[in-house]
Amino acid sequence: MPRLYLRLVSVAAVLVVIGAWFIAAKLQLVDPLFLPGPIEVMTTAEQLIDEGYRQVSLWMHILVSVARALFAFFIAAITGIPIGLLMGRSPIFNAVLDPFVQFLRPLPKLALIPLVVVWFGIGEVSKFVLIYLSTFLTIVVSAASAVMSVPEGRIRAAQSLGVNRQQLFRHVILPSALPELFTGVRVGIGIGWTTLIAAEMIAASSGLGWMVINASSYLRTDVVMLGILLLGTIGYLLDLAIVTTQRLMVHWMGKG
Amino acid sequence: MSIRAFRLLAAALSTVFVFFGSASTAFAADPEVVRFGWFGGPRPWVIGKANGMFDKALGTKVEWVQFPSGAAALTSLAAKQVDISRLGSTPTVAAISRKVPIEFIAISGIIVTSERLIAKSGINNVAELKGKRVAFPPGSTAHYALMAALKVNNIPANQLTLVSLTPADMVAAWKRGDIDAAYVWGPFSQTMEGDGGKEILATEQLQKNGYYVWNDYVVRKEFADKYPEIVVKFLQAFQQTVDMYNQDKEGMVKLIAQHLNQNEAAVRDTLAGLRFPSMKEQLSSKLLGEGGSIAPAMLDTARFLVELGDLRQSEIPPSYKPFINTSYMERAVR
Repeated sequence: MPRLYLRLVSVAAVLVVIGAWFIAAKLQLVDPLFLPGPIEVMTTAEQLIDEGYRQVSLWMHILVSVARALFAFFIAAITGIPIGLLMGRSPIFNAVLDPFVQFLRPLPKLALIPLVVVWFGIGEVSKFVLIYLSTFLTIVVSAASAVMSVPEGRIRAAQSLGVNRQQLFRHVILPSALPELFTGVRVGIGIGWTTLIAAEMIAASSGLGWMVINASSYLRTDVVMLGILLLGTIGYLLDLAIVTTQRLMVHWMGKG
Repeated sequence: MSIRAFRLLAAALSTVFVFFGSASTAFAADPEVVRFGWFGGPRPWVIGKANGMFDKALGTKVEWVQFPSGAAALTSLAAKQVDISRLGSTPTVAAISRKVPIEFIAISGIIVTSERLIAKSGINNVAELKGKRVAFPPGSTAHYALMAALKVNNIPANQLTLVSLTPADMVAAWKRGDIDAAYVWGPFSQTMEGDGGKEILATEQLQKNGYYVWNDYVVRKEFADKYPEIVVKFLQAFQQTVDMYNQDKEGMVKLIAQHLNQNEAAVRDTLAGLRFPSMKEQLSSKLLGEGGSIAPAMLDTARFLVELGDLRQSEIPPSYKPFINTSYMERAVR
């Protein structure tokens, strides 16, 4: 009951904001250049679906962006999780990698663009590198900290029962670390999606991030607004997908 | 609980309204500071930046706000973060069409050879760009000129790969061999020419086909209405810098190059590639006066932007004449 109630409050809040947006646009409270109304944005969406934006259909822009983000995300997860786990388990390994990770992680990825262009060119590789880097670093850090925060007592208890290293990792550390690991992955995909705009600033001619940037060159705030709504919605759906996977895979989360 | 939630929501919403509301309130009596938008490129008015002429002429502090491209300047003009800005013809048209409240007050320079199409050796003319990768700064005058060049040479845009890049990234891509040609301005054009590039077209050559590309000064209408004197004084000071440049080109090139930390040869080349029509010529029927060629050229630019899909046909006014306000220039020459 309270859960359903809270959900209704959320829905109501969203509807109120959309309603306010609608009324603000209808009464022209705000210059339409600054805040194009919902109807204008919908008309633009229709137009972009029919005619495309810059000779590329809206679906294609969405697909390209999602593909860029997801591909980089998967590679980041595949490489980041093992490295993070290792860093969490091995103090030496951690000591070697930690300075680099801590240096790169807070670095605004926009600052890397000139270097990324010089090193990797203006093709898909440089876009991949930017998204990958920010996702990877987040995942590494959270995987390492997930392993480190496994209660020492639990490890000792298992060791005293005579488990070997492999068993310890497989049956004690991994299950204990998994909930936090998932949280890291969740944050990682969010950051990867955020980096998309930066990545698509580099010589792109498709993708939602590029669409927003290009439209802003001509102050097409309706296209910008549509792009932002789509970026936000897709980001939300990606997050939802991770949360659902987490609920299915880590059913013991919060129970012990 | 629910009442508290609604109160919170109401508070949040009213903050939003106050925020947007305050954005439209006018500001106080005298300008404490006048904000100029510029792009870091060598221009005669940089002389006035170096020696503080504008601060003196305007009797107020001048803040120079540098933008990487006209696109960024547009957003700042719309957000009232800049008062007077130099702008390329393409962004100017885009801004006016999108109803940013600005006025076109003067031409700052007509682009003759300062923007050009640089290609790798082996590419000798525009027709040979077919199948090649050509870079351009999106939404710029160079973008317009590139598209015009393709049209004049009957090359459909889909027969080559167009790459949108900022000028700085363009140089990086050029050095790596990622692009075969680029339409850009100095000092980037000279860097590429110094690195195996060759000019295959300059904007000037498009004039005979009716494509005019220029730089101009725009002012926020609200600012101009409030401080017309400042705008007049600004134009007078600008004209002074042009006169100074015309009288001592070599000396001024040195001064500008030093102030901007740019290569002297590149500065000389860029300045020589611009034509600075006198205010008298600007006010004549040749350019901004009755029957002048700038207003129709703006309409052409707008049509081109509609064709690209960047502007909507419904946004294009029947004429751009009403957005050109020559009254400040008329007062400045008096």
